[in-house]
Amino acid sequence: MTRWGMVIDMKRCIGCYACVLACKAEHFLPPDIFWNRVLIGEKGKYPAVSKVIYSVRCNHCAEPKCVDVCPTGATQQREDGIVWVDETKCVGCRYCMIACPYQARSFYEGDGEGYFPGQGLTPHEEIGHALYPHEPGVVQKCVFCKERIDAGLAQGLVPGVDRDASPACMIVCPTMAIKFGDLDDPYSEVNRLIKERKGVGFHEEYDTKPSLYYLD
Amino acid sequence: MIQSKPWEFMVKYTPQRDWIEGHGIMVAFAIFFGGIAGGLYLASLYYDSTVGMFVAWLLAMATGLTDMAHLSKPRRFWRMLLRVKSSWITRGFLFITLFIGAAAIQLAIRQWAPGATAAETVFKVFAGIFAFGVAIYSGFVVGFVSGIKLWNSAIVPILFVVAGVAGGLGILMLASQGESAARVLDIARGCFYVLAGYAVFTAIYLWVSTYENTNARDSVTRILTGEVSRVFWLVVVVVGMVLPLGLIAPYAFNAVVSPAAFIIAGACILVGGIGLRYVILKAGVYSPLVPSE
Repeated sequence: MTRWGMVIDMKRCIGCYACVLACKAEHFLPPDIFWNRVLIGEKGKYPAVSKVIYSVRCNHCAEPKCVDVCPTGATQQREDGIVWVDETKCVGCRYCMIACPYQARSFYEGDGEGYFPGQGLTPHEEIGHALYPHEPGVVQKCVFCKERIDAGLAQGLVPGVDRDASPACMIVCPTMAIKFGDLDDPYSEVNRLIKERKGVGFHEEYDTKPSLYYLD
Repeated sequence: MIQSKPWEFMVKYTPQRDWIEGHGIMVAFAIFFGGIAGGLYLASLYYDSTVGMFVAWLLAMATGLTDMAHLSKPRRFWRMLLRVKSSWITRGFLFITLFIGAAAIQLAIRQWAPGATAAETVFKVFAGIFAFGVAIYSGFVVGFVSGIKLWNSAIVPILFVVAGVAGGLGILMLASQGESAARVLDIARGCFYVLAGYAVFTAIYLWVSTYENTNARDSVTRILTGEVSRVFWLVVVVVGMVLPLGLIAPYAFNAVVSPAAFIIAGACILVGGIGLRYVILKAGVYSPLVPSE
């Protein structure tokens, strides 16, 4: 079996927000919607203070609470571990948003007017609407660029290795801080990094088994 | 994602907002209506009150409607019946639907076929079971949320049932005005005992939550001294508990019927009930995303 996962090297991340913008461009995300974020802060106490940068998104948990609580089956988990939302089934109850301990989901309330209200959609936005309709009134989240993965696999490419089969945030990262690969493959680069550098996920005490690991 | 500064995500407890702010306030009303609908029906079974049963049926409809009002895609509501194996919202939706059906049949038998006691008893049993489900499911809905420790407690479903029965008895006390003095006093005394138990239970819930972990302790601090403390002390404690207990006790235990006192007490219990749901939803917080060290 395959279980896609991501490793983020915090020592390499420079907080440039390229991953945030790449995600927004890749999925033509509407205004005010971000599927990933960059959190920049400090930790420790004076004089031992250090700056920390976390690139965060859906953790695509192996035991996702959001899938369990969804009353309609709109939130689903694929066999490869990717958690996604079927917007045509979502009723907008937001139970998944409440149940996600990582607050990694977004509710799109927009009116579909795009980035320039009252002026219609730009040609670029029209293309985006055709590819990703982004229905208002439903919940959205990171999907690990499953469209790119599926298309890449169909061409015989390897996600995490070949650009055309990898998530947009990974391929755009200028410092290669984001790695993507199969967590079930003991020889994958992501697994090697997790083992060698003791990668950790957020809030593992919730037993969600996140597929996002951070290297410090 | 909630409107919050990125820095706050990392280091602070961030309150949930989706189920309390804006349209989310409907969730508090749905939980309230569900609790008192179930509680009122169970209390009405005990006191054999037709009016109470009918009002409970209406309140169950209100629960479904407020639940629907919270949805941004209400036309797809039928899809909410599809995940009974894992989702407490689905289970609650089923309880409401089944209760409305069973209670309607039971009330119809009572009204138009008063001789069919066996049939009515059967539907009373079914409706009673579903009423308990309606009263308790919202406790499990919030109790399943592991990220918000104030909610993620085994006490919450029981607290919601007790609060629902207290609210139900409050309505029953209002509805029983004009009936015999003995019956009114009987209901008032029952209401007093349940209300006292509800007050003790609320205190135990908050006290136990402070020992759960820092997340739940932060929520309790918000309730007792923080941003929702005014609603808690004024609406939940004073209006919802102290005032009705003080109004009921002097009359109920001296065998004196005071319609004014009982009506005010009943209304106060309901106001306190909605306050309790608001406070619990509003005080729910997530732990900081990033470990502190």
